[in-house]
Amino acid sequence: MKTIPPVCTEPETGPKYWRSLDHLADRPEYRQWVEREFPAGASIAPEGESRREWMKLMSASFLLAGVGGMAAGCRRPETHLLPFAKQPENYTHGGWQYFATSMPARAGAVPLIVKSSDGRPTKIEGNPLHPDSNGATDLYAQAALLNLYDPDRSARHSLNGNDVKVEKVRDALAALAKKFGSSGGEGLVLLADRNTSPSRAALQAKWSAKLPKAKWFSYEPVDFDIHREAASLAFGADVTPHLHLEKAKRILSLDSDFIGAEADAAHHIRGYARGRKPGDDMNRLYVVESLFSLTGGQADHRLRVRPSDVVRVAAQIASFILKGELAGSCQRLSHDSPARVEWAKACAEDLKAAGGAVAVVAGYSQPLAVHLIAHAINAELGAIGKTVQLLPTPSLPAHGGIVEAVTALKAGVDTLVILGGNPVYNAPADLDFAGALAGAKTVVRYGYYEDETSTAKTKGDVWHIPAAHFLESWGDARTSDGTLVPVQPLIEPLLGGWTDLELLARLLGEAKTSAYDIVRSNFKGDDQAWKQFLHDGYLKDSAPAPVSSSFSLAAVLKFLSPWNPASASGLEVVLHRDAKVDDGRFTNNGWLQELPDPVTKIVWENVVMISPATGKTLGLTGPESKTDYAAAHSGQYEQQVIEVTVNGRTIRGPVWIQPGLADNVIALGLGYGRSVVGRVGAGSGFNAYLLMNSANRHWSSGATLKPILKKAMVATVQEHGLMEGRPVIREANLDQFKSRSDFAAHMDLDEHLPHYVPHREDGSIKNIYQHPYQQNPFTKSEVHQWGMTIDLSSCVGCGACVMACQAENNIPIVGKDQVIRGREMHWLRLDRYYSHDPSQAITGEHVSEDPQMVIQPMFCQHCEAAPCESVCPVNATVHDEEGLNVMAYNRCIGTRYCSNNCPFKVRRFNFFDYNKREISYGKTEGNLFLNVEGPLYHGPLGPNKNTEPQWEIIKLVKNPDVSVRMRGVMEKCTFCVQRIEQAKIAQKNIARDSSDVAVKDGTIKTACQQVCPAEAIQFGNLLDPKSKVSELKKDPRNYSVLGFLDIRPRVTYLARVRNPNPEIAKLENRTMPDSLRDYESFRHENPFEETGESHSGHAPEKKGAA
Amino acid sequence: MPSIFPKWTNLLPLKLAVAVACLGGAATAGVWYYWTPKYSRVGYQPKQPVAFSHAIHADQLGVDCRYCHSAVERSWFSNIPASSTCMNCHSLLLKEDPKLALVRDSYQSGKSIPWVQLHRTPDFAYFNHSVHVNRGISCVHCHGQINHMEEVFHAKPLSMGFCLDCHRAPEEKIRPVDLVTQLDWAGAVDGKKLVHDWNVKPGQSCSTCHR
Repeated sequence: MKTIPPVCTEPETGPKYWRSLDHLADRPEYRQWVEREFPAGASIAPEGESRREWMKLMSASFLLAGVGGMAAGCRRPETHLLPFAKQPENYTHGGWQYFATSMPARAGAVPLIVKSSDGRPTKIEGNPLHPDSNGATDLYAQAALLNLYDPDRSARHSLNGNDVKVEKVRDALAALAKKFGSSGGEGLVLLADRNTSPSRAALQAKWSAKLPKAKWFSYEPVDFDIHREAASLAFGADVTPHLHLEKAKRILSLDSDFIGAEADAAHHIRGYARGRKPGDDMNRLYVVESLFSLTGGQADHRLRVRPSDVVRVAAQIASFILKGELAGSCQRLSHDSPARVEWAKACAEDLKAAGGAVAVVAGYSQPLAVHLIAHAINAELGAIGKTVQLLPTPSLPAHGGIVEAVTALKAGVDTLVILGGNPVYNAPADLDFAGALAGAKTVVRYGYYEDETSTAKTKGDVWHIPAAHFLESWGDARTSDGTLVPVQPLIEPLLGGWTDLELLARLLGEAKTSAYDIVRSNFKGDDQAWKQFLHDGYLKDSAPAPVSSSFSLAAVLKFLSPWNPASASGLEVVLHRDAKVDDGRFTNNGWLQELPDPVTKIVWENVVMISPATGKTLGLTGPESKTDYAAAHSGQYEQQVIEVTVNGRTIRGPVWIQPGLADNVIALGLGYGRSVVGRVGAGSGFNAYLLMNSANRHWSSGATLKPILKKAMVATVQEHGLMEGRPVIREANLDQFKSRSDFAAHMDLDEHLPHYVPHREDGSIKNIYQHPYQQNPFTKSEVHQWGMTIDLSSCVGCGACVMACQAENNIPIVGKDQVIRGREMHWLRLDRYYSHDPSQAITGEHVSEDPQMVIQPMFCQHCEAAPCESVCPVNATVHDEEGLNVMAYNRCIGTRYCSNNCPFKVRRFNFFDYNKREISYGKTEGNLFLNVEGPLYHGPLGPNKNTEPQWEIIKLVKNPDVSVRMRGVMEKCTFCVQRIEQAKIAQKNIARDSSDVAVKDGTIKTACQQVCPAEAIQFGNLLDPKSKVSELKKDPRNYSVLGFLDIRPRVTYLARVRNPNPEIAKLENRTMPDSLRDYESFRHENPFEETGESHSGHAPEKKGAA
Repeated sequence: MPSIFPKWTNLLPLKLAVAVACLGGAATAGVWYYWTPKYSRVGYQPKQPVAFSHAIHADQLGVDCRYCHSAVERSWFSNIPASSTCMNCHSLLLKEDPKLALVRDSYQSGKSIPWVQLHRTPDFAYFNHSVHVNRGISCVHCHGQINHMEEVFHAKPLSMGFCLDCHRAPEEKIRPVDLVTQLDWAGAVDGKKLVHDWNVKPGQSCSTCHR
């Protein structure tokens, strides 16, 4: 008799893949928490409703239903169909329209194709026609759709907080234009955010011509202008570097999180992932950084140093590469470098050996010197013009940044115009912008929200003008490669917003004030060219040719020789661009707030991050600082609140021990702790801008930490959905991969399948779970069988797929309190595992300082023999003909058996009617647990009626092709079944009376696949042997997660390959990925050392029986 | 000792059982008959704001369905024609007819005519017109002999069972694509052959209609 052997031995010394420090410490309370299917409290009904009340409610509803039924008879109420009175041209009701536009950003733009359903934008996609796009976007572009329908956005014109008519605003602007037009702009100051609009640049040029005495300042709290500044200095011309990482074989990042925090991340991810294909041409990434960023998680070699030390390491590496005086300069700067000489030398030699296919990139937060060193290395190694192209960037007439603006304000101004931005909130605290602002006689504020700046107190008048969303505006922009792209509206301004162009034109007293006229007149070309421009979404060949400026050694030397790095002492505070809310511009966006941070997996707030070693010196040692799990409601993170003080200014926030963070660094995300913000952002996190210095905005040393006798709940999803001790992520180093490319298939029990599966007497396999097509072969479609692959070597974990999935599939926002209870609704999650050297003794006291990070997108695997299906009592989850595991929401009665039986924990349950909940998303004052029922929807008789007009605007974001799920039903990834069905219907409409009904490969792209900048996701028809997904399934790296269960997932993964430098690997004693070492240490086997004995005894001919 | 229960109670359990069975049966039968679309929807004939006759337009005059319902081959939704479509002809014909006053007003003012909706699939069922008419399923199968209706009424139940009947046996309903809008067509066709030749395999799983 055959039985199933115990397939996975428990590791001997605790888990080796770990998702958090608690997981690593593996205390009994933690295990208890993990082993519960749903966290404690998840299945508890809200308090305060007794059985009697429930009876009352139910009888009342039955009564009402009865009365309603009698009055209306058996028919539904009469509804009307309202056709057009006059049919518009090219409009099909029920069809979709797509428009090309773009999302302006600080330093570039994202070219877009936006889907409009019956006149409202419902989905944002990248524009694949654009020469520098693959049809992907970053996560901000996905989430920007929700901003359009934000009921808290500014909807009125106001003067000192009182509503005024738009005519009055126009009159006031005309009066200002007249006044300053005659005085040459005396006393007029404008503070603008950055963008790349040529039309705005033209108006800016007019401004300086017409108003010579007026001042124009630019401010972005997280500013990428340093790249332009450094390149212009280093190459003696006005240029901006544009990276082509796909051409780089060796990449050195100097505190540059080009995958996450830098501008134009989608472009960088694409280039990086294309150069990352396992093989001889695979790139190698060195990262020197202070935070543990996504780029650091990708690194083949990562060096943790504090931000002020980055310049020392950079100079140390440069001193092995550069020659002459510059090398001497670098030698001097490299004094006290924390990096080992061997490490820097090996890195330098490797860069030199790459034959110019090198990219050295410096981060936005680093000083000019680091950027100059990076350019010097690039120039020395011949990377300029190849991986780093220099694009000419005309410099605009401006008078400086925020420091100069405050100086001007303090000197006294008549009128201050604030064009975008939110300086009262995000200006460096030492400048006291709010105080300086108070002196202005008139303030004209143009902004998307009525925020801190709009409500600032001044001695004069404050006008507020609402801004239009980019999907409501005419405009133009340049993408980072310099291509001209249009910004065209899909909808009239919902709430009467203006464009910045109109405001500027009115201030200048221009004749043309409509944004369309301004943009059209700036576009060089006839009507045909204009139409083509709007249709394509970009202007062909409009990118400037890269210039071939030579490296200006003298200028760099002149800068570097007298320059001295800041002394590295004490604790350093790092203020970084948040991976979700950016610099605060997305604080009121619920999608982004609920998106788990890519590394910490924290939602709805920021934390005070310190490294384990730093925590230890302060008596905060990871797991030990946690409160008792049993006492905590559901084992969530009740974190110690800590006070951070720098230069006499203080903030308080929950502490977070972050492995991989540089020691003596305190990392704080920007953009939270807003004081005047909408209902979504209110009360989330703390304001890190209070620690920002104008001299060095992103880090300052000499911080002190003081624990406060207070705790705060932090919501994180990193523990939800653990995968215990299995090789769910398989990885190898490049040399190992070359020696055995199909290593992934030889891990776990995969190659033993199906021998240990029970067999029938006739020798056929008795599946653990029912296989739908084995029982009923006739139900299997012979045309389509869908499948997907995910390349873990390409995936960088940026999170754009999570946002795209949320936008496409009407996934609700649940709120912090619900996430704490483990009720998050994302269909697609990004599992982030740390792995570390198993030879280190791991106890609660000692935690890994330098873990490796691996990221795996996880969602419904569409198992063929699906465990969820066999336990559903009502057949609500079943297989369809084409291999999809489908959910029929109307059948579901909410037993949650399916979720219990799902090995991947990818099913999501609607504990409440989240789509009807009040939009404060559970974040009310006081204790989150006590307030759980407050903002949740409790049915038609409950306290929340949700009848305000704001609900009408929120509804507009929903995708009409996907059901909005109600309370009590289970949901999960559907492989974007709506897109599949639409493509099949479109193909059948073409086929008509022919048999050509097979959808062509590449027609269907799931939302996550379409948005993926790394091109890691491939979806298609497995029956088509030429489809991309079929090709990839044959890849030797292909493997199934938990494949040993014989559930045959339709989603498979391609194992990750790392490409370390052998010399440094020897130094670091890391000859194979840490996760593989873990595997070896508790399985006592390794796919690269075939022992032979473990495989004997299985007759190979039985393999075909599956 | 006198008996506690009188004699007539001897048959009480039986009577009760019969009564419960009758009542239960009646309730089941009632639900079966009255709570299905076959009863609740078939025959629904609301008064329309304009007395439009499909019999005159489609049958007597021979206007093709797709002249007015122009999106039916391209969209999931078969559109109600815009007032401007009516005025294509009625700006010349019956120009002063009082019955068309609302159409003229609508065309002039730009305000829609509030036609009363008859056929309605629930929001969770994603029915698509285009794929049916493009693959040889005639309007008549779901809408009945609409070309003979003076005033439109709901002719078929359009319940889930109704959909599935056809999805399970498309050969009974399929016809050549160019005859889809010929509602009176009664010719013979080898349905099985068409189903085979066109590779027709209507989905029968949840995902076909529910997303």
